[in-house]
Amino acid sequence: MNIKMNWKKTFVALPLSAALVIPTASPAFADDHGNHTNMDKVTVSTPAADLRATLDQYLSEHAYLAVVTMQKGVQGAEDFEEAAGALEANTQDLTGAIASVYGEEAGKQFNDMWSEHIGYFVDYVKATAEDNEEGRQEALNNLDNYRADFSQFLETATDERLEASALAEGLQMHVNQLIGAFDNYEEGNFDEAYEKLRMSIDHMYGVGKGLSTAITNQFPDKFENTSPATPAADLRADLNHLLSEHAALAVLAMQKGGDGAEDFEEAAGALNNNTEDLTAAIASVYGEEAGEQFNEMWSEHIGFFVDYVQASVNEDDQAKEQALTALDGYRKDFSEFLDTATEGGLEAENTAEGLQMHVNQLTGAFDNYIEGDFDMAYEEVRKAYAHMYGVGEGLSGAIVNQNPEMFASDMPTEMPKTGMGGMSEEGGLNAWMIAFASMAAALAAVVVGVRRKNNQA
Amino acid sequence: MYKLLPLFLLLFLFACSTIQESEAGVKSGQEADVGSKTDLRAALDNQSSSSVKSAGNTGKMENTAIVPASISIPAINVQADIEEVGRYENGQMGEPKSIDGVGWYQDGYLPGEKGSSVMAGHVDSKTGPAVFYHLEDLNPGDKINVTDAEGQKQTFIVQKSESYDRKEAPLNKIFGFSYRRQLNLITCTGEFNKQAGTHDKRLVVYTVHEDDVTE
Repeated sequence: MNIKMNWKKTFVALPLSAALVIPTASPAFADDHGNHTNMDKVTVSTPAADLRATLDQYLSEHAYLAVVTMQKGVQGAEDFEEAAGALEANTQDLTGAIASVYGEEAGKQFNDMWSEHIGYFVDYVKATAEDNEEGRQEALNNLDNYRADFSQFLETATDERLEASALAEGLQMHVNQLIGAFDNYEEGNFDEAYEKLRMSIDHMYGVGKGLSTAITNQFPDKFENTSPATPAADLRADLNHLLSEHAALAVLAMQKGGDGAEDFEEAAGALNNNTEDLTAAIASVYGEEAGEQFNEMWSEHIGFFVDYVQASVNEDDQAKEQALTALDGYRKDFSEFLDTATEGGLEAENTAEGLQMHVNQLTGAFDNYIEGDFDMAYEEVRKAYAHMYGVGEGLSGAIVNQNPEMFASDMPTEMPKTGMGGMSEEGGLNAWMIAFASMAAALAAVVVGVRRKNNQA
Repeated sequence: MYKLLPLFLLLFLFACSTIQESEAGVKSGQEADVGSKTDLRAALDNQSSSSVKSAGNTGKMENTAIVPASISIPAINVQADIEEVGRYENGQMGEPKSIDGVGWYQDGYLPGEKGSSVMAGHVDSKTGPAVFYHLEDLNPGDKINVTDAEGQKQTFIVQKSESYDRKEAPLNKIFGFSYRRQLNLITCTGEFNKQAGTHDKRLVVYTVHEDDVTE
């Protein structure tokens, strides 16, 4: 080996070699992101990005509903069963997504394992409610074993692209976040509890990104060779994340407000932190001023929802109507804001319609909750969550259409040319032939020159 | 007008504070009548004025990302400086200018962050072997060390090698996101195609960060 390397170096050391070996023309390197043929194809909606959105939705909703269900469980709340039912329905949806890729049998396997881990979380909650330390430990041990089995399952399914150890670490984080959110809630550390809830939701978007990448790499044809992790798909995922989290936290804060629960403030605080993150996302595209405008409107509409809850608590129908009227005004203003920002990409009329659905879903979830129709309440919760994925796709799509250069793919479309053929049998021969030929030509030229000289003489 | 709101709400909060104190002993009040005494709007805005903690992306894994300055592959005696490369107009990944250098694809992932970082080196020059001439000799388990300008090192472990027709390589897989921290090394292989001015195939050595590999 060493010999060869040295041999190479001697060649490089030859005076002419630099010019021979290294192509002198050094073409424009790719600080040039303005590849126009690529730019036309910049889109948030590809089969791979759709898969990622589906996985993101069900995985993050799982984390949210798990935290809610655990809270309800330890409270012995009336709606525990329905919250658990929503979590179960989420598992069915997730199973459907897995089965659509890996088949029914793998789907069933997945369903068994996934349901099992939810069971251990429930065991943990029960043991906590009963002050049974041993039971808590047993639940944690079971979760530990589950992690190993589940990592193995996914590793096999995804053709080892999600190596078990990385996945296991991810799952450990998931377990820690849910247990942390629950323990802190139980101990009355509500700030911590809701921070952990937000982290557990955030974490799932990493899992969704990784899993969708592994799947699309495994079945590139099925996804038309598209990637789920392009800059455009990342924007879509970010907006999906923050918008659906907004709906989820709004539902929670409204319930807490309606109950007069002691953690209302912290739940509302989590909702406000989500607003700050959304503001940052909007500002990153449209600038600080637009971000501030957005923040003001968005915070205002959250306030109107809280007014609605307050009116409901006070059994003040007139105030309820007022809150809804105020939300109507917001719908109009906010739709126009988005219409202007996206230069017509999001037509105000359509946006207003979408926002009406959002308002109906949140007030529907709340009203049903207050009236004790918990099945309906959680159905609305899930609808409100899913609805935001449509909003995320629409909004990110409009932003990307408006600024394609900001979201152009940063991947090459061809492999590099990393060889010049000097060591390839055919190539080597050619290189030598070229070398000989040029030498011969040079010699010939010299000879001709000499002859001419001689002739002249 | 909105600027005045916090002030009003603060007043509300003071007005309510005695009520809230009296409720402090009540654990997770499910009773609706408790709420009727609380001003929710005040509580909401009390929160918005508190310091904002953003969830953000978490995880220690991200802290291992480095801007590569050099690479060493002891198993094949490679020690090379890193050149930053991008793309040509036609979308092709650039290659290092030096046959001794290794090109890191700077528009992609950093080595040590989640995703596939990509480095390419020449297999040969016009006249002899180049830095990645022996890349094909790497075996699973061999180590790749990447170091930044400050000397911080990240180590990757070879998983497998695959060669692809140069037009058929799975670019999403090679250059795209991955749950693990990966580093993929590219060089040319196969016959040199005189007409195309390049080899027919590309060799990709897939490596994974040492902390992401199953023991």
